[in-house]
Amino acid sequence: MVRRIICFGVLGVLAVLLMAGTLCIGPVDLDSDMFATVLWKLRVPRLVAAVLAGAALSVSGLSLQTLFRNPLAGPFVLGISNGASFGVALALLAGFSFGNFGVLTAASLGALAVTAVILWIASKFERNSVLLVAGLLIGYFIDALVSLLIAGSDAESLRMYISWGMGSFGRLTPSGIGIFAVAVGVGLLLIVSCLRYLNGARLGDDFARGLGLSVAVQKKCVLLGASILAAAVTAFCGPVAFIGIAVPHLTYLLFRTTNHRVLIPGVMLCGADLTLLAGLFPTIPLNATLSIVGVPVILWVLLRSGREGRL
Amino acid sequence: MTNEVPLLQCKKMEFGYGKVLGAAGVSVAADVVGTSGAVGAAPALAAPLDFTLSVGEVVAVVGANGSGKSTLLKTLAGFVQPLSGTFEIEGVANMPLRERAKKIALVRMGNMVPSRMTAREFVGLGRTPYSNFLDGRLAEDERIVDDALATVGMTAFANRAVAELSDGERSRVYLAEALAQQVQILLLDEPDAFLDVPHSHHLFKMLRTLAAERKMGILVSTHSIEYAEKYCNRMMVIDKNCIQVDTAAEARTHGLLRWTEEEIV
Repeated sequence: MVRRIICFGVLGVLAVLLMAGTLCIGPVDLDSDMFATVLWKLRVPRLVAAVLAGAALSVSGLSLQTLFRNPLAGPFVLGISNGASFGVALALLAGFSFGNFGVLTAASLGALAVTAVILWIASKFERNSVLLVAGLLIGYFIDALVSLLIAGSDAESLRMYISWGMGSFGRLTPSGIGIFAVAVGVGLLLIVSCLRYLNGARLGDDFARGLGLSVAVQKKCVLLGASILAAAVTAFCGPVAFIGIAVPHLTYLLFRTTNHRVLIPGVMLCGADLTLLAGLFPTIPLNATLSIVGVPVILWVLLRSGREGRL
Repeated sequence: MTNEVPLLQCKKMEFGYGKVLGAAGVSVAADVVGTSGAVGAAPALAAPLDFTLSVGEVVAVVGANGSGKSTLLKTLAGFVQPLSGTFEIEGVANMPLRERAKKIALVRMGNMVPSRMTAREFVGLGRTPYSNFLDGRLAEDERIVDDALATVGMTAFANRAVAELSDGERSRVYLAEALAQQVQILLLDEPDAFLDVPHSHHLFKMLRTLAAERKMGILVSTHSIEYAEKYCNRMMVIDKNCIQVDTAAEARTHGLLRWTEEEIV
Protein backbone atom coordinates (compact mmCIF):
# COMPACT_ATOMS: atom_id res chain seq x y z
CA MET A 1 0.00 0.00 0.00
CA VAL A 2 2.78 2.40 0.99
CA ARG A 3 4.61 1.37 -2.15
CA ARG A 4 1.63 2.32 -4.29
CA ILE A 5 1.26 5.74 -2.68
CA ILE A 6 4.97 6.48 -3.18
CA CYS A 7 4.88 5.29 -6.81
CA PHE A 8 1.77 7.31 -7.66
CA GLY A 9 3.22 10.33 -5.84
CA VAL A 10 6.60 10.26 -7.59
CA LEU A 11 5.11 9.58 -11.02
CA GLY A 12 2.52 12.31 -10.48
CA VAL A 13 5.07 14.94 -9.44
CA LEU A 14 7.27 13.93 -12.37
CA ALA A 15 4.31 14.34 -14.74
CA VAL A 16 3.60 17.85 -13.43
CA LEU A 17 7.26 18.85 -13.77
CA LEU A 18 7.46 17.47 -17.30
CA MET A 19 4.25 19.22 -18.27
CA ALA A 20 5.63 22.51 -16.97
CA GLY A 21 8.80 21.82 -18.95
CA THR A 22 6.82 21.10 -22.11
CA LEU A 23 4.97 24.41 -21.77
CA CYS A 24 7.94 26.60 -20.79
CA ILE A 25 11.00 25.25 -22.53
CA GLY A 26 11.54 26.29 -26.13
CA PRO A 27 12.94 28.98 -28.40
CA VAL A 28 10.27 31.49 -27.32
CA ASP A 29 10.75 32.88 -23.79
CA LEU A 30 8.08 33.39 -21.13
CA ASP A 31 8.24 37.22 -21.33
CA SER A 32 7.97 37.34 -25.12
CA ASP A 33 4.91 38.84 -26.82
CA MET A 34 4.62 35.71 -28.89
CA PHE A 35 4.40 33.50 -25.81
CA ALA A 36 0.60 33.28 -25.55
CA THR A 37 0.24 32.36 -29.20
CA VAL A 38 3.03 29.81 -29.08
CA LEU A 39 1.62 28.39 -25.85
CA TRP A 40 -1.90 27.83 -27.13
CA LYS A 41 -1.18 27.03 -30.75
CA LEU A 42 1.88 24.80 -30.32
CA ARG A 43 2.82 23.79 -26.81
CA VAL A 44 -0.56 22.92 -25.32
CA PRO A 45 -1.50 20.67 -28.26
CA ARG A 46 1.92 19.03 -28.01
CA LEU A 47 1.41 18.46 -24.28
CA VAL A 48 -2.05 16.98 -24.82
CA ALA A 49 -0.78 14.79 -27.65
CA ALA A 50 2.07 13.45 -25.50
CA VAL A 51 -0.13 12.76 -22.47
CA LEU A 52 -2.94 11.12 -24.43
CA ALA A 53 -0.57 9.05 -26.58
CA GLY A 54 1.45 7.82 -23.61
CA ALA A 55 -1.62 6.91 -21.58
CA ALA A 56 -3.52 5.34 -24.50
CA LEU A 57 -0.68 3.19 -25.83
CA SER A 58 0.24 1.98 -22.35
CA VAL A 59 -3.31 0.91 -21.52
CA SER A 60 -3.65 -0.70 -24.95
CA GLY A 61 -0.43 -2.66 -24.42
CA LEU A 62 -1.28 -3.64 -20.84
CA SER A 63 -4.74 -4.93 -21.69
CA LEU A 64 -3.46 -6.90 -24.70
CA GLN A 65 -0.63 -8.43 -22.65
CA THR A 66 -3.13 -9.51 -20.03
CA LEU A 67 -5.69 -10.74 -22.55
CA PHE A 68 -3.16 -12.85 -24.44
CA ARG A 69 -1.24 -13.82 -21.30
CA ASN A 70 1.88 -12.93 -23.23
CA PRO A 71 4.48 -10.33 -22.26
CA LEU A 72 5.18 -9.67 -25.95
CA ALA A 73 1.65 -8.75 -26.95
CA GLY A 74 0.85 -5.19 -27.94
CA PRO A 75 -0.95 -3.27 -30.66
CA PHE A 76 2.01 -3.73 -33.01
CA VAL A 77 2.38 -7.44 -32.49
CA LEU A 78 -1.29 -8.03 -33.22
CA GLY A 79 -1.19 -6.03 -36.43
CA ILE A 80 -3.64 -3.46 -35.08
CA SER A 81 -1.19 -0.58 -35.43
CA ASN A 82 -0.23 -1.83 -38.90
CA GLY A 83 -3.89 -1.69 -39.87
CA ALA A 84 -4.05 1.89 -38.63
CA SER A 85 -0.88 2.75 -40.55
CA PHE A 86 -2.42 1.35 -43.72
CA GLY A 87 -5.47 3.56 -43.20
CA VAL A 88 -3.25 6.59 -42.66
CA ALA A 89 -1.16 5.81 -45.75
CA LEU A 90 -4.32 5.56 -47.87
CA ALA A 91 -5.69 8.83 -46.45
CA LEU A 92 -2.41 10.69 -46.96
CA LEU A 93 -2.08 9.49 -50.52
CA ALA A 94 -5.70 10.49 -51.12
CA GLY A 95 -4.73 14.04 -50.18
CA PHE A 96 -5.94 14.41 -46.57
CA SER A 97 -3.64 16.34 -44.25
CA PHE A 98 -2.35 15.31 -40.83
CA GLY A 99 -4.56 15.61 -37.76
CA ASN A 100 -7.52 15.63 -40.03
CA PHE A 101 -10.74 13.81 -39.17
CA GLY A 102 -10.33 11.87 -42.41
CA VAL A 103 -7.01 10.48 -41.24
CA LEU A 104 -8.45 9.44 -37.88
CA THR A 105 -11.37 7.73 -39.60
CA ALA A 106 -9.07 5.92 -42.00
CA ALA A 107 -6.75 4.84 -39.18
CA SER A 108 -9.68 3.63 -37.07
CA LEU A 109 -11.18 1.73 -39.98
CA GLY A 110 -7.82 0.10 -40.69
CA ALA A 111 -7.32 -0.87 -37.03
CA LEU A 112 -10.89 -2.10 -36.65
CA ALA A 113 -10.64 -4.15 -39.83
CA VAL A 114 -7.60 -5.96 -38.42
CA THR A 115 -9.37 -6.34 -35.06
CA ALA A 116 -12.38 -7.82 -36.85
CA VAL A 117 -10.14 -10.40 -38.52
CA ILE A 118 -8.47 -11.15 -35.15
CA LEU A 119 -11.89 -11.53 -33.52
CA TRP A 120 -13.02 -13.83 -36.30
CA ILE A 121 -9.97 -16.01 -35.74
CA ALA A 122 -10.62 -15.79 -31.98
CA SER A 123 -14.07 -17.28 -32.50
CA LYS A 124 -12.47 -20.27 -34.23
CA PHE A 125 -9.67 -20.93 -31.77
CA GLU A 126 -9.75 -20.89 -28.02
CA ARG A 127 -5.96 -20.77 -27.84
CA ASN A 128 -4.56 -17.29 -27.61
CA SER A 129 -1.17 -18.17 -29.03
CA VAL A 130 -2.82 -18.82 -32.40
CA LEU A 131 -4.14 -15.26 -32.33
CA LEU A 132 -0.70 -13.86 -31.61
CA VAL A 133 0.84 -15.66 -34.57
CA ALA A 134 -2.08 -14.66 -36.80
CA GLY A 135 -1.70 -11.03 -35.69
CA LEU A 136 1.99 -11.01 -36.55
CA LEU A 137 1.29 -12.46 -39.99
CA ILE A 138 -1.49 -9.95 -40.64
CA GLY A 139 0.92 -7.20 -39.63
CA TYR A 140 3.51 -8.34 -42.19
CA PHE A 141 0.84 -8.66 -44.86
CA ILE A 142 -0.41 -5.12 -44.28
CA ASP A 143 3.12 -3.70 -44.21
CA ALA A 144 3.61 -5.26 -47.62
CA LEU A 145 0.44 -3.55 -48.86
CA VAL A 146 1.68 -0.23 -47.47
CA SER A 147 5.01 -0.58 -49.28
CA LEU A 148 3.12 -1.31 -52.50
CA LEU A 149 1.09 1.89 -51.97
CA ILE A 150 4.24 3.89 -51.31
CA ALA A 151 6.09 2.49 -54.30
CA GLY A 152 3.40 3.87 -56.57
CA SER A 153 3.23 7.31 -55.01
CA ASP A 154 4.87 10.63 -55.87
CA ALA A 155 7.86 12.07 -53.99
CA GLU A 156 5.85 14.57 -51.90
CA SER A 157 3.43 11.95 -50.50
CA LEU A 158 6.35 9.66 -49.83
CA ARG A 159 8.17 12.34 -47.85
CA MET A 160 5.00 13.03 -45.84
CA TYR A 161 4.46 9.36 -45.08
CA ILE A 162 8.04 8.84 -43.97
CA SER A 163 7.98 11.88 -41.69
CA TRP A 164 4.69 10.63 -40.22
CA GLY A 165 6.28 7.23 -39.71
CA MET A 166 8.91 8.71 -37.41
CA GLY A 167 6.23 9.80 -35.01
CA SER A 168 5.67 13.25 -33.55
CA PHE A 169 3.50 15.03 -31.01
CA GLY A 170 3.71 18.24 -32.98
CA ARG A 171 1.02 17.43 -35.53
CA LEU A 172 -2.00 17.72 -33.26
CA THR A 173 -3.88 20.92 -34.09
CA PRO A 174 -5.92 22.76 -31.42
CA SER A 175 -9.08 21.68 -33.24
CA GLY A 176 -7.99 18.04 -33.23
CA ILE A 177 -7.58 17.90 -29.44
CA GLY A 178 -11.28 17.25 -28.86
CA ILE A 179 -11.52 14.37 -31.33
CA PHE A 180 -8.32 12.75 -30.03
CA ALA A 181 -9.50 13.06 -26.41
CA VAL A 182 -12.92 11.58 -27.18
CA ALA A 183 -11.42 8.62 -29.06
CA VAL A 184 -9.02 7.90 -26.19
CA GLY A 185 -11.86 8.31 -23.67
CA VAL A 186 -14.05 5.78 -25.48
CA GLY A 187 -11.20 3.27 -25.69
CA LEU A 188 -10.36 3.67 -22.00
CA LEU A 189 -14.00 3.29 -21.01
CA LEU A 190 -14.32 0.04 -22.94
CA ILE A 191 -11.24 -1.39 -21.23
CA VAL A 192 -12.09 -0.17 -17.73
CA SER A 193 -15.53 -1.75 -18.06
CA CYS A 194 -13.75 -5.13 -18.29
CA LEU A 195 -11.62 -4.62 -15.19
CA ARG A 196 -12.84 -7.81 -13.52
CA TYR A 197 -12.11 -9.89 -16.60
CA LEU A 198 -8.61 -8.45 -16.93
CA ASN A 199 -7.91 -9.37 -13.30
CA GLY A 200 -9.34 -12.86 -13.67
CA ALA A 201 -7.91 -13.67 -17.12
CA ARG A 202 -4.49 -14.71 -15.85
CA LEU A 203 -5.37 -18.37 -15.47
CA GLY A 204 -7.16 -18.76 -18.73
CA ASP A 205 -10.67 -18.37 -20.01
CA ASP A 206 -12.15 -21.33 -18.14
CA PHE A 207 -10.90 -19.94 -14.86
CA ALA A 208 -12.42 -16.54 -15.65
CA ARG A 209 -15.68 -18.26 -16.59
CA GLY A 210 -15.60 -20.04 -13.23
CA LEU A 211 -15.49 -16.63 -11.57
CA GLY A 212 -18.79 -15.79 -13.25
CA LEU A 213 -17.37 -13.60 -16.02
CA SER A 214 -18.82 -13.58 -19.52
CA VAL A 215 -15.51 -14.19 -21.25
CA ALA A 216 -16.62 -13.92 -24.88
CA VAL A 217 -18.19 -10.46 -24.51
CA GLN A 218 -15.44 -9.02 -22.35
CA LYS A 219 -12.67 -10.31 -24.60
CA LYS A 220 -14.23 -8.49 -27.57
CA CYS A 221 -14.73 -5.39 -25.49
CA VAL A 222 -11.05 -5.30 -24.49
CA LEU A 223 -9.86 -5.94 -28.07
CA LEU A 224 -12.14 -3.20 -29.39
CA GLY A 225 -10.97 -0.73 -26.75
CA ALA A 226 -7.30 -1.54 -27.31
CA SER A 227 -7.63 -1.10 -31.07
CA ILE A 228 -9.46 2.23 -30.76
CA LEU A 229 -6.67 3.50 -28.49
CA ALA A 230 -3.96 2.32 -30.88
CA ALA A 231 -5.78 3.73 -33.91
CA ALA A 232 -6.25 7.15 -32.33
CA VAL A 233 -2.58 7.48 -31.41
CA THR A 234 -1.44 6.21 -34.80
CA ALA A 235 -3.65 8.73 -36.59
CA PHE A 236 -2.54 11.76 -34.59
CA CYS A 237 1.06 10.98 -33.64
CA GLY A 238 2.24 8.28 -36.03
CA PRO A 239 3.23 4.71 -35.29
CA VAL A 240 4.72 5.03 -31.81
CA ALA A 241 5.97 1.54 -31.17
CA PHE A 242 7.91 1.32 -27.97
CA ILE A 243 5.45 2.56 -25.32
CA GLY A 244 2.79 -0.14 -25.62
CA ILE A 245 5.12 -3.03 -24.99
CA ALA A 246 7.56 -1.50 -22.47
CA VAL A 247 5.49 0.60 -20.10
CA PRO A 248 3.40 -2.29 -18.66
CA HIS A 249 6.63 -4.11 -17.69
CA LEU A 250 8.03 -1.00 -16.05
CA THR A 251 4.77 -0.50 -14.15
CA TYR A 252 4.70 -4.10 -12.89
CA LEU A 253 8.16 -3.58 -11.46
CA LEU A 254 7.25 -0.30 -9.80
CA PHE A 255 3.90 -1.29 -8.34
CA ARG A 256 4.48 -5.04 -7.77
CA THR A 257 0.82 -5.90 -8.24
CA THR A 258 -1.33 -7.60 -10.85
CA ASN A 259 -4.51 -5.74 -9.93
CA HIS A 260 -5.67 -3.69 -12.90
CA ARG A 261 -7.41 -1.26 -10.58
CA VAL A 262 -3.89 -0.07 -9.73
CA LEU A 263 -2.13 -1.04 -12.97
CA ILE A 264 -4.36 0.95 -15.34
CA PRO A 265 -3.82 4.34 -13.65
CA GLY A 266 -0.21 3.25 -13.08
CA VAL A 267 0.57 2.60 -16.75
CA MET A 268 -1.25 5.78 -17.76
CA LEU A 269 0.97 7.89 -15.52
CA CYS A 270 4.12 5.98 -16.41
CA GLY A 271 3.40 6.16 -20.16
CA ALA A 272 2.55 9.85 -20.02
CA ASP A 273 5.80 10.56 -18.14
CA LEU A 274 7.82 8.75 -20.80
CA THR A 275 6.13 10.43 -23.75
CA LEU A 276 6.36 13.86 -22.09
CA LEU A 277 10.06 13.29 -21.56
CA ALA A 278 10.57 12.27 -25.17
CA GLY A 279 8.44 15.22 -26.29
CA LEU A 280 10.92 17.64 -24.68
CA PHE A 281 13.16 17.08 -27.72
CA PRO A 282 10.82 18.04 -30.56
CA THR A 283 13.56 18.25 -33.17
CA ILE A 284 14.55 14.58 -32.92
CA PRO A 285 12.16 12.00 -34.42
CA LEU A 286 9.98 10.66 -31.61
CA ASN A 287 10.49 6.98 -32.28
CA ALA A 288 14.25 7.47 -32.33
CA THR A 289 14.25 9.24 -28.92
CA LEU A 290 11.97 6.67 -27.36
CA SER A 291 13.91 3.70 -28.62
CA ILE A 292 17.47 4.97 -28.15
CA VAL A 293 16.85 6.16 -24.59
CA GLY A 294 14.12 3.77 -23.60
CA VAL A 295 15.20 0.37 -24.87
CA PRO A 296 18.45 0.12 -22.89
CA VAL A 297 16.70 1.31 -19.73
CA ILE A 298 13.83 -1.16 -20.04
CA LEU A 299 16.19 -3.95 -21.04
CA TRP A 300 18.29 -3.32 -17.96
CA VAL A 301 15.20 -3.28 -15.74
CA LEU A 302 13.90 -6.50 -17.29
CA LEU A 303 17.20 -8.33 -16.98
CA ARG A 304 17.54 -7.27 -13.38
CA SER A 305 14.04 -8.34 -12.44
CA GLY A 306 14.37 -11.52 -14.49
CA ARG A 307 17.37 -12.48 -12.39
CA GLU A 308 15.36 -11.89 -9.24
CA GLY A 309 12.57 -14.06 -10.63
CA ARG A 310 9.94 -11.39 -10.58
CA LEU A 311 9.13 -11.27 -14.28
CA MET B 1 -32.83 -26.26 7.15
CA THR B 2 -33.98 -26.53 3.58
CA ASN B 3 -32.49 -29.90 2.97
CA GLU B 4 -35.28 -30.88 0.60
CA VAL B 5 -33.54 -29.25 -2.35
CA PRO B 6 -30.34 -31.17 -3.10
CA LEU B 7 -27.17 -29.19 -3.72
CA LEU B 8 -26.59 -30.70 -7.11
CA GLN B 9 -28.77 -32.99 -9.15
CA CYS B 10 -27.99 -34.50 -12.56
CA LYS B 11 -31.06 -35.58 -14.51
CA LYS B 12 -30.34 -38.05 -17.29
CA MET B 13 -27.30 -35.96 -18.11
CA GLU B 14 -24.96 -37.08 -20.88
CA PHE B 15 -21.60 -35.39 -21.18
CA GLY B 16 -18.75 -35.29 -23.68
CA TYR B 17 -16.81 -32.84 -25.78
CA GLY B 18 -19.68 -32.28 -28.20
CA LYS B 19 -20.76 -28.84 -27.14
CA VAL B 20 -17.78 -26.84 -26.07
CA LEU B 21 -18.51 -23.25 -25.22
CA GLY B 22 -16.73 -21.52 -28.06
CA ALA B 23 -14.93 -18.23 -27.79
CA ALA B 24 -17.97 -16.57 -29.32
CA GLY B 25 -20.04 -17.66 -26.33
CA VAL B 26 -22.45 -19.78 -28.29
CA SER B 27 -22.31 -23.51 -28.12
CA VAL B 28 -20.67 -24.87 -31.22
CA ALA B 29 -21.26 -28.49 -32.04
CA ALA B 30 -17.87 -29.95 -32.78
CA ASP B 31 -17.62 -31.92 -35.97
CA VAL B 32 -16.85 -35.19 -34.37
CA VAL B 33 -17.68 -38.47 -36.04
CA GLY B 34 -20.01 -40.01 -33.53
CA THR B 35 -20.47 -43.64 -32.61
CA SER B 36 -23.25 -43.83 -35.16
CA GLY B 37 -20.81 -42.57 -37.80
CA ALA B 38 -22.81 -39.41 -38.43
CA VAL B 39 -20.85 -36.18 -38.64
CA GLY B 40 -21.97 -33.58 -36.11
CA ALA B 41 -23.07 -35.98 -33.41
CA ALA B 42 -20.46 -36.15 -30.69
CA PRO B 43 -20.22 -39.34 -28.67
CA ALA B 44 -21.21 -39.15 -25.05
CA LEU B 45 -18.46 -40.29 -22.74
CA ALA B 46 -20.88 -42.19 -20.54
CA ALA B 47 -24.47 -43.33 -20.27
CA PRO B 48 -27.04 -40.78 -19.01
CA LEU B 49 -26.23 -39.90 -15.42
CA ASP B 50 -28.75 -39.60 -12.61
CA PHE B 51 -26.95 -38.39 -9.54
CA THR B 52 -27.67 -36.32 -6.47
CA LEU B 53 -25.03 -34.61 -4.33
CA SER B 54 -26.20 -33.87 -0.79
CA VAL B 55 -25.03 -31.50 1.90
CA GLY B 56 -22.07 -32.74 3.91
CA GLU B 57 -20.85 -35.52 1.67
CA VAL B 58 -17.61 -36.09 -0.19
CA VAL B 59 -17.99 -38.15 -3.36
CA ALA B 60 -14.95 -39.50 -5.19
CA VAL B 61 -14.94 -39.74 -8.99
CA VAL B 62 -12.68 -42.54 -10.16
CA GLY B 63 -11.94 -44.02 -13.56
CA ALA B 64 -9.13 -44.67 -15.99
CA ASN B 65 -7.35 -41.92 -17.92
CA GLY B 66 -9.66 -40.51 -20.57
CA SER B 67 -12.78 -42.03 -19.02
CA GLY B 68 -14.36 -38.60 -18.67
CA LYS B 69 -13.75 -37.56 -15.06
CA SER B 70 -12.50 -34.12 -15.99
CA THR B 71 -15.18 -33.66 -18.64
CA LEU B 72 -17.87 -34.45 -16.08
CA LEU B 73 -16.45 -31.87 -13.67
CA LYS B 74 -16.07 -29.29 -16.45
CA THR B 75 -19.66 -29.90 -17.50
CA LEU B 76 -20.91 -29.33 -13.95
CA ALA B 77 -18.75 -26.20 -13.66
CA GLY B 78 -20.42 -24.85 -16.81
CA PHE B 79 -17.37 -24.88 -19.12
CA VAL B 80 -18.85 -27.58 -21.36
CA GLN B 81 -22.53 -28.01 -22.11
CA PRO B 82 -24.19 -31.33 -21.36
CA LEU B 83 -24.97 -33.28 -24.54
CA SER B 84 -28.43 -34.08 -23.29
CA GLY B 85 -30.41 -33.92 -20.09
CA THR B 86 -29.80 -31.27 -17.43
CA PHE B 87 -28.32 -30.70 -14.04
CA GLU B 88 -29.69 -28.42 -11.35
CA ILE B 89 -27.80 -26.42 -8.75
CA GLU B 90 -30.00 -26.05 -5.67
CA GLY B 91 -33.00 -26.77 -7.83
CA VAL B 92 -32.13 -24.30 -10.59
CA ALA B 93 -31.16 -25.43 -14.07
CA ASN B 94 -29.05 -23.22 -16.34
CA MET B 95 -28.09 -20.82 -13.59
CA PRO B 96 -26.57 -17.55 -14.88
CA LEU B 97 -22.75 -17.53 -14.82
CA ARG B 98 -22.35 -15.08 -12.02
CA GLU B 99 -24.87 -16.74 -9.71
CA ARG B 100 -23.31 -20.09 -10.53
CA ALA B 101 -19.87 -18.78 -9.48
CA LYS B 102 -21.29 -18.15 -6.00
CA LYS B 103 -22.58 -21.73 -5.74
CA ILE B 104 -20.08 -23.95 -7.47
CA ALA B 105 -16.32 -23.85 -8.07
CA LEU B 106 -13.97 -26.18 -9.91
CA VAL B 107 -10.45 -26.43 -8.53
CA ARG B 108 -7.92 -27.53 -11.16
CA MET B 109 -4.33 -28.09 -10.26
CA GLY B 110 -3.48 -27.67 -13.91
CA ASN B 111 -0.84 -26.26 -16.05
CA MET B 112 -1.29 -22.52 -15.83
CA VAL B 113 0.44 -20.63 -13.07
CA PRO B 114 -0.47 -17.00 -12.51
CA SER B 115 2.72 -15.05 -13.14
CA ARG B 116 3.63 -12.11 -10.93
CA MET B 117 0.68 -12.76 -8.61
CA THR B 118 0.94 -13.19 -4.85
CA ALA B 119 -1.03 -15.92 -3.08
CA ARG B 120 -3.21 -13.29 -1.46
CA GLU B 121 -3.98 -11.56 -4.75
CA PHE B 122 -4.83 -14.90 -6.29
CA VAL B 123 -7.17 -15.96 -3.49
CA GLY B 124 -8.72 -12.49 -3.71
CA LEU B 125 -9.90 -13.36 -7.24
CA GLY B 126 -12.41 -15.64 -5.53
CA ARG B 127 -14.33 -12.51 -4.56
CA THR B 128 -14.87 -11.55 -8.22
CA PRO B 129 -18.48 -12.82 -8.39
CA TYR B 130 -19.35 -10.56 -5.47
CA SER B 131 -17.44 -7.47 -6.60
CA ASN B 132 -18.78 -4.40 -8.32
CA PHE B 133 -18.06 -2.99 -11.75
CA LEU B 134 -14.66 -1.59 -10.74
CA ASP B 135 -13.60 -4.77 -8.93
CA GLY B 136 -13.24 -3.12 -5.53
CA ARG B 137 -12.85 -5.10 -2.31
CA LEU B 138 -14.58 -4.34 0.99
CA ALA B 139 -13.19 -5.08 4.46
CA GLU B 140 -15.58 -8.03 4.53
CA ASP B 141 -13.97 -9.43 1.36
CA GLU B 142 -10.51 -9.06 2.90
CA ARG B 143 -11.69 -10.94 5.98
CA ILE B 144 -13.07 -13.79 3.83
CA VAL B 145 -9.77 -13.99 1.92
CA ASP B 146 -7.82 -14.13 5.19
CA ASP B 147 -10.15 -16.83 6.45
CA ALA B 148 -9.73 -18.89 3.26
CA LEU B 149 -5.93 -18.67 3.52
CA ALA B 150 -6.06 -19.64 7.19
CA THR B 151 -8.35 -22.61 6.47
CA VAL B 152 -5.78 -24.16 4.12
CA GLY B 153 -2.91 -23.15 6.41
CA MET B 154 -1.31 -20.73 3.96
CA THR B 155 -1.50 -17.50 5.96
CA ALA B 156 2.29 -17.35 6.25
CA PHE B 157 2.61 -17.57 2.45
CA ALA B 158 0.08 -14.82 1.67
CA ASN B 159 2.63 -12.41 0.21
CA ARG B 160 4.70 -14.98 -1.66
CA ALA B 161 4.40 -15.22 -5.45
CA VAL B 162 2.22 -18.16 -6.49
CA ALA B 163 4.80 -19.09 -9.12
CA GLU B 164 7.45 -19.57 -6.41
CA LEU B 165 5.39 -21.94 -4.27
CA SER B 166 5.87 -25.70 -4.27
CA ASP B 167 3.24 -27.84 -5.97
CA GLY B 168 1.69 -28.78 -2.64
CA GLU B 169 1.51 -25.20 -1.46
CA ARG B 170 0.11 -24.08 -4.79
CA SER B 171 -2.66 -26.66 -4.71
CA ARG B 172 -3.67 -25.37 -1.28
CA VAL B 173 -3.76 -21.81 -2.60
CA TYR B 174 -5.98 -22.96 -5.49
CA LEU B 175 -8.34 -24.54 -2.96
CA ALA B 176 -8.35 -21.32 -0.90
CA GLU B 177 -9.43 -19.38 -4.00
CA ALA B 178 -12.51 -21.60 -4.33
CA LEU B 179 -13.23 -21.20 -0.61
CA ALA B 180 -13.10 -17.41 -1.02
CA GLN B 181 -15.89 -17.81 -3.58
CA GLN B 182 -17.99 -19.13 -0.64
CA VAL B 183 -19.46 -21.89 -2.74
CA GLN B 184 -21.60 -24.75 -1.47
CA ILE B 185 -20.47 -27.18 -4.13
CA LEU B 186 -16.79 -27.85 -4.57
CA LEU B 187 -15.47 -29.78 -7.56
CA LEU B 188 -11.82 -30.85 -7.47
CA ASP B 189 -9.97 -32.33 -10.43
CA GLU B 190 -7.23 -34.66 -9.15
CA PRO B 191 -6.13 -32.42 -6.28
CA ASP B 192 -3.67 -35.08 -5.09
CA ALA B 193 -1.89 -35.32 -8.45
CA PHE B 194 1.16 -33.38 -7.28
CA LEU B 195 0.99 -34.12 -3.56
CA ASP B 196 3.13 -36.44 -1.47
CA VAL B 197 1.47 -39.04 0.75
CA PRO B 198 1.16 -37.02 4.00
CA HIS B 199 -0.15 -33.98 2.14
CA SER B 200 -2.70 -36.11 0.29
CA HIS B 201 -4.01 -37.52 3.55
CA HIS B 202 -4.14 -34.01 4.97
CA LEU B 203 -6.03 -32.73 1.91
CA PHE B 204 -8.70 -35.41 2.01
CA LYS B 205 -9.16 -34.90 5.76
CA MET B 206 -9.58 -31.21 5.06
CA LEU B 207 -12.25 -31.95 2.44
CA ARG B 208 -14.19 -34.03 4.98
CA THR B 209 -13.98 -31.23 7.54
CA LEU B 210 -15.13 -28.65 5.00
CA ALA B 211 -18.09 -30.77 3.94
CA ALA B 212 -19.15 -31.36 7.54
CA GLU B 213 -18.52 -27.90 9.00
CA ARG B 214 -19.47 -25.67 6.10
CA LYS B 215 -22.36 -27.79 4.85
CA MET B 216 -20.67 -28.25 1.50
CA GLY B 217 -21.05 -31.00 -1.06
CA ILE B 218 -17.75 -32.09 -2.59
CA LEU B 219 -17.05 -34.02 -5.77
CA VAL B 220 -13.40 -34.97 -6.09
CA SER B 221 -11.78 -36.88 -8.94
CA THR B 222 -8.73 -38.94 -8.05
CA HIS B 223 -6.61 -41.87 -9.20
CA SER B 224 -6.11 -42.99 -5.63
CA ILE B 225 -8.68 -45.66 -4.79
CA GLU B 226 -7.13 -45.83 -1.33
CA TYR B 227 -8.06 -42.25 -0.43
CA ALA B 228 -11.45 -42.62 -2.10
CA GLU B 229 -12.25 -45.63 0.05
CA LYS B 230 -10.81 -44.18 3.22
CA TYR B 231 -12.09 -40.60 3.17
CA CYS B 232 -15.06 -40.34 0.83
CA ASN B 233 -18.69 -41.16 1.57
CA ARG B 234 -19.51 -42.41 -1.89
CA MET B 235 -17.67 -43.33 -5.03
CA MET B 236 -18.66 -42.63 -8.64
CA VAL B 237 -16.99 -45.08 -10.99
CA ILE B 238 -16.73 -44.30 -14.71
CA ASP B 239 -15.75 -47.42 -16.60
CA LYS B 240 -16.31 -48.22 -20.28
CA ASN B 241 -19.07 -45.65 -20.74
CA CYS B 242 -20.88 -46.90 -17.68
CA ILE B 243 -21.29 -44.81 -14.54
CA GLN B 244 -22.07 -46.43 -11.21
CA VAL B 245 -22.35 -44.80 -7.83
CA ASP B 246 -22.02 -46.74 -4.60
CA THR B 247 -20.97 -46.16 -1.04
CA ALA B 248 -17.21 -45.95 -0.80
CA ALA B 249 -17.05 -48.83 1.64
CA GLU B 250 -19.00 -51.25 -0.56
CA ALA B 251 -17.82 -50.30 -4.05
CA ARG B 252 -15.09 -52.93 -4.02
CA THR B 253 -17.26 -55.78 -2.76
CA HIS B 254 -19.93 -54.89 -5.30
CA GLY B 255 -17.36 -55.29 -8.07
CA LEU B 256 -17.21 -51.65 -9.17
CA LEU B 257 -13.43 -51.61 -8.93
CA ARG B 258 -12.73 -54.71 -10.99
CA TRP B 259 -11.42 -52.51 -13.85
CA THR B 260 -8.49 -51.40 -11.72
CA GLU B 261 -6.94 -54.86 -11.94
CA GLU B 262 -7.64 -55.54 -15.60
CA GLU B 263 -4.84 -56.02 -18.11
CA ILE B 264 -4.20 -53.03 -20.35
CA VAL B 265 -4.56 -54.11 -23.96
